[in-house]
Amino acid sequence: MKKYAVIYRSVLMENLQYTVNIVMSFISYFIFIFVFIHLWNYMYDSPGETIAGYTKTQMIWYVIMTEMIWFAARTATVTRQVTSDIRGGNIAYLINKPYHYTFYILSRYTGEWNIRLPIFAGLAVIAGTIMVGGLPDFRAVTLLASLPCIILGITIQGVFKLCISLMSFWIEDSNPFQWLYDKLILVVGTIFPIEIFPASLQPLFKLTPIYTVCYGPSKLIVDFSPEKWVEIIVAQLIYLAAGCGFMLFIYSKGVKKLYVNGG
Amino acid sequence: MLTAVKNQLRVCALSVKYNMMREMLNKVTFLTNILFMVLNNATFLVQWMILFRLKEDIGGYTMDEIMLLWGLTASSYGLSHILFAKAFSLSDLIINGKLDSYLVMPKNVLLSVITSSTSTSALGDLLYGLIIICFFCFSIQRFFLFLLFTVTGAVIITSFAVLMGSLSFWFIRAEMFGQQMLDSMINFSTYPDGIFKGTVKFMLYLVIPVGMSVYQPIHLMVHFQIGRMLAVLGYTVLLAAAAVFVFYRGLKRYSSSSLMSART
Repeated sequence: MKKYAVIYRSVLMENLQYTVNIVMSFISYFIFIFVFIHLWNYMYDSPGETIAGYTKTQMIWYVIMTEMIWFAARTATVTRQVTSDIRGGNIAYLINKPYHYTFYILSRYTGEWNIRLPIFAGLAVIAGTIMVGGLPDFRAVTLLASLPCIILGITIQGVFKLCISLMSFWIEDSNPFQWLYDKLILVVGTIFPIEIFPASLQPLFKLTPIYTVCYGPSKLIVDFSPEKWVEIIVAQLIYLAAGCGFMLFIYSKGVKKLYVNGG
Repeated sequence: MLTAVKNQLRVCALSVKYNMMREMLNKVTFLTNILFMVLNNATFLVQWMILFRLKEDIGGYTMDEIMLLWGLTASSYGLSHILFAKAFSLSDLIINGKLDSYLVMPKNVLLSVITSSTSTSALGDLLYGLIIICFFCFSIQRFFLFLLFTVTGAVIITSFAVLMGSLSFWFIRAEMFGQQMLDSMINFSTYPDGIFKGTVKFMLYLVIPVGMSVYQPIHLMVHFQIGRMLAVLGYTVLLAAAAVFVFYRGLKRYSSSSLMSART
């Protein structure tokens, strides 16, 4: 574990040098939220109205939280870097190192989002409070309880995106699959809470990564309940274990297909 | 004069043709990129189906008009990335001093730069736009207007990208700002203008050119007015002229990094 901690620390220190760039990337986040505030302002006819059990403030805070997770986890390490390592042959050097390639990538990914998440969270809370006001009935203990879910959600997201990138062992470009996965998460779990979909589809969505990556942590922040917390954290642990198993399986199969052209 | 323009256009067409041939070297990847981009855009249908279950019209738009909005945004974005993909990474060329190989060419520098690469997935965007216009609110007049506004939209998006990229001639970190502005343009252009009010609406016409690249064309396809169409065409020409002017003003400040590179 020590070697992964060293990798994590070095990436963390490296990313601390680029905090201004991360703050600049908040503009995109802000515009996304800004558009959604206007959209939900239009959709809600009166302040007291609820849609799928969410008040307007809850709905906007739900989007603020899901987008915060989405933007914090949006790093090129688990996507472009892995694809380019495999396509460009750099992986031939990396698999000889005294670490497992997939955990090396996940350590780098963790170092990156550990900087991005606090910055995005701080700016998102400030922007949200100014634009829509505070979340009613929100308590500090809710945040403490939701934090492990947010961390697990971002880690699951990294593991699944890494699994897709590892498909580059078989196909030249795994990016199109990343687009589809991203849109699945974005459209079904990020923009809306699952409750807004027809009741027949909701159990199906609970079986997908959407439930553990975006919906779960954000739902806890806007509408916390201990039962929901247990349900979400158990689902996340199962998902993480299954995701890691799948990742190691794909990697072990893919690396056998690797051949070196020299150079 | 006319011969020079003709020659320049021929060089641009050849450049795009060779870019495309290079992208087609791996046919499976090429086709996967196109197909998945169509599917990628189509996933947003779910979002609008859900929203229209809640309300009959959104920002004054019906479902068909929203589809038209998405179709036009996708096809304009697609066309600009097929023909002028390099305009979207102009900052990188300026900051890293990679413009040298274009400066020594005997043709127009800006056109040589922006036509030097293409995006395969953008073909999927263009195709998606054409599928949308054929399946939602189709009429002969609307189809031809759609094609015209795809071209004006592509010119507006490319001009805006050149303007944002050219900021790197003057400012440090302008590339990040420019990228955020381009992202915001795409973001705004996929939502109806009716949900925005006051200053925001004003900004969408004057600061981020979404109003003239997407919103006005959609209104024109629904209720045609010749005056408004001329305004869109005039705006397109003016923005393109401004982009060319700013790029060449900035180019005077460009300094090479002595990097050995070849035009790809």
